[in-house]
Amino acid sequence: MWLPFLGLIFGLALGLLTNIQIPSMYENYLSIAVLAALDTLFGGIRAQLQQVYDDKVFLSGFFFNIVLAAGLAFLGVNLGIDLYLAAIFAFGVRLFQNIAIIRRILLIRIDKKRHNNKKTPVE
Amino acid sequence: MNNKKNSKGSFFTRKQFELLIVCITTGFIIGYSYNQAQDKREAGTIDSELFEQEESYREELIAQQERNKELSEELNSLQEQIRKYEKSFAADEKAYQKLVEQAEDLRLLLGELKGEGKGVRITLQDGDYDPKSFNPNDYIVHESHIFKLLNELKISGAQAIAINGQRVMATSYIRCNGPVITIDGTQHPAPFVIEAIGDAKTLLASLNLNGGVVDQLLNDNIVVSLEESQKLTMPKVKVES
Repeated sequence: MWLPFLGLIFGLALGLLTNIQIPSMYENYLSIAVLAALDTLFGGIRAQLQQVYDDKVFLSGFFFNIVLAAGLAFLGVNLGIDLYLAAIFAFGVRLFQNIAIIRRILLIRIDKKRHNNKKTPVE
Repeated sequence: MNNKKNSKGSFFTRKQFELLIVCITTGFIIGYSYNQAQDKREAGTIDSELFEQEESYREELIAQQERNKELSEELNSLQEQIRKYEKSFAADEKAYQKLVEQAEDLRLLLGELKGEGKGVRITLQDGDYDPKSFNPNDYIVHESHIFKLLNELKISGAQAIAINGQRVMATSYIRCNGPVITIDGTQHPAPFVIEAIGDAKTLLASLNLNGGVVDQLLNDNIVVSLEESQKLTMPKVKVES
């Protein structure tokens, strides 16, 4: 269970230690990539909690979302329109929704646990 | 159950492996963008510092350029002035040369310089003793004769005159003192040798005019001899205190 957290910390350390400069015009892509990754991560957690988790969907969604967002941003840069805003908007909304669902599920579970704890001694 | 076995066998399941990869990637992206943002912040501060520096340098440059402009204007005006001076110099140069020549002539005349050059030598000698003559003044050289001679020489353009080797200046005085004449306090006996530097031809011609100085002198029984000299030297005036 701690493996993903370890992986997250490892990735963070790697990113912080990496000192490659990218041109400023690609910073939009980076922000979108961050959003897409976070969205997919929370989506995966939600799916796990809702018992609908499928690793294929998760993995493909992760990479496909990132690529799609990057492609959208690329198109936007080339057309001179801030199309990456659409990706940010979509990912942001989804991120909030996912987090909200996770929160609700967790709340329900905690409630259930308390209920069960109260019930068991009686039974 | 199967899953659990599998996980035990290869340390973690495929699901966990995928999750790990996703987490690593997410972490990497987040960390990298954080790094990038920090770099950008630092770069921003550096940029602003550089900008301020640049601004100050630019102001300095502008000030320097203005100063340069002022200086070049000053230079132009000074050069203009110099040109004016040069022009006036060029115009005055001839006048200067004339003045220098004139000064030289005047110095010669004043006797401040040693005179040297072509000229004439005139010797005035008292006439031979004449027993017929009652008065010896009739045949000796008087200062008036010398005056006449000097005047004639000066008029004819003599640049320097000396009598018996003593320079005669504009301020010199000549006095008759019996058989001798006194020039500036120095007595000179006859014969009197008068030397004059100048154009010998002109001097001689003017002296030898009909009814001129020489005729008058001869009339007064004075022995006059004229001589053209290629090189006459005259001493400087000895200023006697």
